[in-house]
Amino acid sequence: MTDRTTQDWMNQWQALSRQYWNAWQDLSREAGASAGRDPASVPWHEGFEQWARMFGGSGPQSETVERVLASAKTFTQFAQSMIAAATGAQSGAMPNWSDALRKGFGFAGAPGATFGNGMFGNPLASALHDISGQGVKGFEQMMAGLAPMLDPSREMKSWLNVPAFGFLREHQEHYQKMATAMLDYQEQSARYNTLILKASQRGFEIFESKLAAREEPGRHQIDSLRALYDLWVDAAEEAYAEIALSPEFREVYGNLVNAQMRVRSQVQQEVERIATDFGMPTRSELDSIGQRLHDLRREVRNGTHAGNGDVTREIESLRREVAALKTALAAHTAARKPAAAATKAAPRHKRVRPAAKKRAPQVAALKADIKESVRTLAREAEPAEPVAQTKKPRLRRRRPTAPRAKKSMPKVAHTAVKVGEPVTSFAARIAEFARDARRHRKEIRRASRKGR
Amino acid sequence: MQPIKIEPAKALDEALTMQRKLAAGLKTLREVDDVEFGVTEKEAVYREDKLVVYRFKGARRPTAKIPILIVYALVNRPYMVDLQSDRSLVKNLLEQGEDVYLIDWGYPDRADRWLTLDDYINGYIARSVDAVAKNAGVDKINLLGICQGGAFSLCFTAMHPDKVKNLITMVTPVDFHSPDNMLSHWTRNLDADLFVDTLGNVPADLMNWCYLTLKPVRLNQQKYVGLVDILDNKAELENFLRMEKWIFDSPDQAGEAFRQFMKDFYQGNKLVKGGLKIGDRDVRLADITMPVLNIFAEQDHLVPPAASRVLGDHVGTDDYTQLAFKGGHIGIYVSGRAQREVPPAIHSWLAARDD
Repeated sequence: MTDRTTQDWMNQWQALSRQYWNAWQDLSREAGASAGRDPASVPWHEGFEQWARMFGGSGPQSETVERVLASAKTFTQFAQSMIAAATGAQSGAMPNWSDALRKGFGFAGAPGATFGNGMFGNPLASALHDISGQGVKGFEQMMAGLAPMLDPSREMKSWLNVPAFGFLREHQEHYQKMATAMLDYQEQSARYNTLILKASQRGFEIFESKLAAREEPGRHQIDSLRALYDLWVDAAEEAYAEIALSPEFREVYGNLVNAQMRVRSQVQQEVERIATDFGMPTRSELDSIGQRLHDLRREVRNGTHAGNGDVTREIESLRREVAALKTALAAHTAARKPAAAATKAAPRHKRVRPAAKKRAPQVAALKADIKESVRTLAREAEPAEPVAQTKKPRLRRRRPTAPRAKKSMPKVAHTAVKVGEPVTSFAARIAEFARDARRHRKEIRRASRKGR
Repeated sequence: MQPIKIEPAKALDEALTMQRKLAAGLKTLREVDDVEFGVTEKEAVYREDKLVVYRFKGARRPTAKIPILIVYALVNRPYMVDLQSDRSLVKNLLEQGEDVYLIDWGYPDRADRWLTLDDYINGYIARSVDAVAKNAGVDKINLLGICQGGAFSLCFTAMHPDKVKNLITMVTPVDFHSPDNMLSHWTRNLDADLFVDTLGNVPADLMNWCYLTLKPVRLNQQKYVGLVDILDNKAELENFLRMEKWIFDSPDQAGEAFRQFMKDFYQGNKLVKGGLKIGDRDVRLADITMPVLNIFAEQDHLVPPAASRVLGDHVGTDDYTQLAFKGGHIGIYVSGRAQREVPPAIHSWLAARDD
């Protein structure tokens, strides 16, 4: 009876497979790829290789074509396995759908088969592996790009701990570090793959439990391949999320990425060393220039955008200060004019000295403020303004002692140091303020002398 | 009862039908030209480095007095909000009478590797906001931040409340440590300094890979199996390809900004925990006192609802509104439901505050 059932199943399965392949060959109009082979033993997804050759690799949508073909191939593996199970069920055997699913992802040549153990494939690893192409590049593909720089041989382990010496000591140490980083990466990669395999296995378990739930009376039976496939996808994603959100995955994922970054970093250092030996510009040199340029642009930009940055605030502060000086000077001059007129009109011996005395403290305070401002401005302008240098000695002669603490411009020097070099336009503006202030000071002096 | 009742002949027919569709569809697919996107007419009103601020032009003049500036994420291209004629958040907002502007960040290259979050938020966004306000002749504007752009908008608004009249956030992560946030979970043990020091700018291809690995089977396999069903429908196929193009058309991430975003947002969760500084300024969500509309997607796998929903607990405003959209992170812009629900909701919320 059992033999009879098996024979019936085989006959049916071969008939279906033959039917499938005939249809496939009609569609692709390329008979011959499977000629001479038993259709029941040929993986159905093999036909996609022909289509990939026919449709892939050209045109604006070639990436999408390739992604569609890859997915259709996976679906067809799934379909073939499930139809085989269904054929068995029709012949009286009790199908094991989970095993059929495993077989679906474990066909020879199926991508998942390379990750798993034998027929029980690793569909999640396959799905992750397939995420590649234009616009997508994962850590695995990035690592493959480094392959020419790395020695994959495990024999490197043997000389890892050999003490480095001689004039090549640094290079040897560097290679040791690179090899250590590479081995660490391989170890972390193995841990990651183990977790993905675990997620795939968990996916099969969840798939089984979802099927079991449908055995209850009143539940809708699955009657199409697509519905069954969708159920499998739900199970796989549920299992993956379970693993991917676990603390263990977080740790392993972090370690894997960090390990790869260490490998890349070591490779970059080696490339830099070679570039330096050949007198070529290096990445870190370019980065350094880029960083300096960026900092400079920030300073300039902040200075030109109201409300941002020290320079703007400083200029605004200086403007206010000069405006206050001008106002004070105007007030002072205005106050002097009637007094001077009175002095001119009155007899010399009747000069009203008490009024002048009364003003003396106010003028003295104003002069002190002006001196203070002019001194600070002149000092800040010194490095970039040759005109200021000609005036500078006079100020220094008058004040040979230690300069007083700056009050009005504490951040200008800091800004210049931060930028690296004084910004010419800014220095010129400071010098302009200094010249204005000096001119005002002279006018005040002249006014004071006239007043006397 | 058997859970599966698949007739072999019927199943074979199903498999062959798929092959037939695939055979016909692949020919069509190969012949389809590159798809276009960005349907609404627009003009550039401000440019700086690679950034451009566009103003969209509707069929009629805007009736709203205050313009909306859309601040999109750095990790994808902003044309998702104006993908095609019948899937355009921008177009629908214009039809509602809004005056819509958008920041296009461009594609950063190695020269932009040192751009910090301060440069982006207190620099680019601040100057874009000023440019829009000047262009519209107003003192304050409405800000609409999307995803990472929403997080940036929250920071900007907290630091410059005088420049924002109303704040709208869409699918914006606020609490980066919600239990179902897979992306955040994976970044927690990464050495951000080593990562950025090694990579410089973070490659867009790597970012795309990370997003796809959030749901590897669904996003990289099931989606394309489903595509076979619509391969014979040219319009549907073009819609799919437009989306596909957007998914894989991503800019690299400026290294320094990425470093800070990973450390302060993903790892430190400082937006809700406090202690966030952008440049020399403190960012406190409590300083956001203007009206806030927070829209999130209930099936969002990138920014889980729990990550967004908490915003109301942290902002300082008394006028906080929350809208839960039935859809995913992308569907909130492009689904039919989104076209019907989201723009009118934004417009009516703004209109009620247009004093």
